[in-house]
Amino acid sequence: MKLPRLLASLLCAAPLLPAAETTAPKSDAAPPAAALAGDSTETYDTLYNHLTVERHGTLVELRARSRRGVFLESAVDLADPLNLQVAYTRTLFAAAYFQSKPARVLMLGLGGAGFHRLFAASYPAAVLQTVELDPKVFELCQTALGFQPTARTPVTLVDGRMFVKRDPATYDWIILDAFRGGYVPPHLKTEEFYRECAARLTDQGVFVSNLDDETALYFSDVRTIQAVFAQVVLFYPEKGNVIAFAVKYQTPVITDPAKWPAEASLNPRFKGKLDLAEVRAQHVPVPEAQVRTAAVLTDDFAPVEFLNVIKANNAEEKP
Amino acid sequence: MISVVFYTLVVVLGILSMGFQMLASRLLSPHYGSSIVEWVWLISTFLAAFSTGSLLGGWISNRPPAQRGLLQGIAATLGVASLAVTAFWQKPMLDWIELKFIPDVAQMNDQGSGGMNAAVFLSCMALFFVPVTTLSSFGPQCVGWLAARGTPPGKASGVVYAVSTFGNIAGVMMTVFVLIPNFRVSHLLDVWLGVALVSLTGLICILRSAPKPAAK
Repeated sequence: MKLPRLLASLLCAAPLLPAAETTAPKSDAAPPAAALAGDSTETYDTLYNHLTVERHGTLVELRARSRRGVFLESAVDLADPLNLQVAYTRTLFAAAYFQSKPARVLMLGLGGAGFHRLFAASYPAAVLQTVELDPKVFELCQTALGFQPTARTPVTLVDGRMFVKRDPATYDWIILDAFRGGYVPPHLKTEEFYRECAARLTDQGVFVSNLDDETALYFSDVRTIQAVFAQVVLFYPEKGNVIAFAVKYQTPVITDPAKWPAEASLNPRFKGKLDLAEVRAQHVPVPEAQVRTAAVLTDDFAPVEFLNVIKANNAEEKP
Repeated sequence: MISVVFYTLVVVLGILSMGFQMLASRLLSPHYGSSIVEWVWLISTFLAAFSTGSLLGGWISNRPPAQRGLLQGIAATLGVASLAVTAFWQKPMLDWIELKFIPDVAQMNDQGSGGMNAAVFLSCMALFFVPVTTLSSFGPQCVGWLAARGTPPGKASGVVYAVSTFGNIAGVMMTVFVLIPNFRVSHLLDVWLGVALVSLTGLICILRSAPKPAAK
């Protein structure tokens, strides 16, 4: 009788674990003074990541280790947090070319919340809902990287796919940036998941995904996005990152940069903080030849870990 | 010759058991993510199945021959039938359990709320516990069969455990490095079902064979 009692106790104790947490909105606070001083390195082992926080003067970098090395997740200059330090976070704003008036944005993956601060400053009426799996990332964002969530930038600590499946809201931008080091979990890479995201997009909404272009997984990523969305546009901000923008509609055509709106007409609040003309120049064509032969990733067939170790063979003509 | 077939089948059962755990993780992740919490329940379910199967198999191996044969047939049928349930109905079952226990965002969090734990636990029990328990129940019976043919019980136990564990290792390696990268999980579950049907039928035939006459 002892074993059944023990099992019953364990099962009864399980519901006592804390429930889902959506952060209470707080005021926008300045980073703590202590965080501004001196250089230091701190490491943290969490349920999901091995994280490193490096401080170089007012610059704070959040890094995550994976089997392929240590990856820079985010960097924030605490003295000038609206000056985005990581190139691809600036590229994410190219979503404005395709949906220039976002009222609701969903971001899967918090990182160091560098994007969040410029977004909140640029779109003061919009809501940016973030979903983050690792509570330690959220904690470090607040304690080390100076991010304070507000009513317009709430953060929910859950798995991104579980959130998308249950959240009834629709969004103008959905941004997928859920890396663990250099690796995105397979269940966030599949055709079924992208269809769940598409169902949460408004008709004119844009789906944005941060892709690693250095392995064969990149071609399957693009092919899988193409399997769900009618049009896909790629930007190449820096080595190791390609940002894909995808929409559900066939017309108007978004694949011709000449038809994109002029930067000056998009958002005057970008002025002095974000050079969208620089971002426009990052546009690159889809590598059709490799994508055509790549496999579509599904819940039933997603060899993500294996494609992620095969070097992409288009290094010379990248991307 | 019969020994070669016997040990081959013990290896195959080991491959089926632990390879199944790798497939199980792929079945769960679209529904519950791929966190350490999911692995806790998955590994615990398989260990509980190994434990229960060993107890069950030990009990069956001490039954009178006629009753033992009947129980072996029931265990094998149950194992194949439960694998068929997993192979053919895992998706609707997981969809139902997931939404029943975690209907909205408030029921979730990173480390698992009660609803999350209950959903993953129930999913593991419904899809994986019975097949692995029945496969594991044949281990002690293999020990009994070897012992009945003159192998000292301690040695028989050690040999079966070693060969079976070798199969476990082969199952994990082959599933992760060869099968999942090249085949759909749904197709692999069909293969698992077919191999279980053939191997359990073969093993039961061997276990029911008469022991060698004792040496004079």
